[in-house]
Amino acid sequence: MLLVPCPVCGPKNAAELTYRGETHSRPDPNQATPEEWRSYLYLRDNPAGWLREGWFCSSGCRTFFTLERNTTTGELREPLLPGNKVAGRPISDGTEP
Amino acid sequence: MADPVFRSSVTSAETTSAESTSAAAVTISDVSDWSKCSVKAGEGTETAKGFAVALGTAAQRNGVLVVHHRQHEWLLLGSAAQVDETIHNLDRDGFVSTVDLTHGRMMLRVSGPRSADVLAKVCSSNFDDAFTPNRAAWGATVARVTCDLVRDDQVGVRSYLLLCDRSYGDYFFQSLLDAADEFAD
Repeated sequence: MLLVPCPVCGPKNAAELTYRGETHSRPDPNQATPEEWRSYLYLRDNPAGWLREGWFCSSGCRTFFTLERNTTTGELREPLLPGNKVAGRPISDGTEP
Repeated sequence: MADPVFRSSVTSAETTSAESTSAAAVTISDVSDWSKCSVKAGEGTETAKGFAVALGTAAQRNGVLVVHHRQHEWLLLGSAAQVDETIHNLDRDGFVSTVDLTHGRMMLRVSGPRSADVLAKVCSSNFDDAFTPNRAAWGATVARVTCDLVRDDQVGVRSYLLLCDRSYGDYFFQSLLDAADEFAD
């Protein structure tokens, strides 16, 4: 079981949240080239390592948040509410205590 | 015009027997006829300050159970008259909105010393006193149904209020009945 730390509810079973996938900064629609839009909309990095991803606390507080997860070890970094761009500290190895 | 008639979404004929047979360890009762009203209020509004209920908790205010289960959102539970009075007295300055959920949500009360054991079978929340003490309020999936849960002990007896969408009512009741079966006397 993956324990995902919701910033409002606290650690929750990942099955109680909705995974929204990799998150990237949205390019400026007035400046972006078609290639940049295509990359933003369709291409994913899928790295073996730290990945910033979006989650939705669908069965709890209905909060959208992002966190960083190491795809090889399952470690998680502090969840961030929208607008907070600072990378968080490690808080969990993703397994049940 | 005649008063509206309340009709529960729990249509199972077993409702009565379930209440009576599981009375000792666990009691599951349909309390959907309570008035249920959602209040959304922006940060800093007089309404938000007036409730004075911390996020994730519930408190009695003039006979109404005020549940602060989500950010900027409260749930008022109680008799129709008392909830109406509370709504009528809200300070409407700033962003404040109310929606009557009485007929859109169903509510069950699961009471008894083994009630936490029943819920633990169908919900991944931690029902230990340290995590969910009396008057705790939170959201979780119970029997695969998204619910709002409130611990509302009755005269020292452990008790939980569970709210979900009305359309799940019959299934939800039957699922809890199945989970409680092993604790029936």
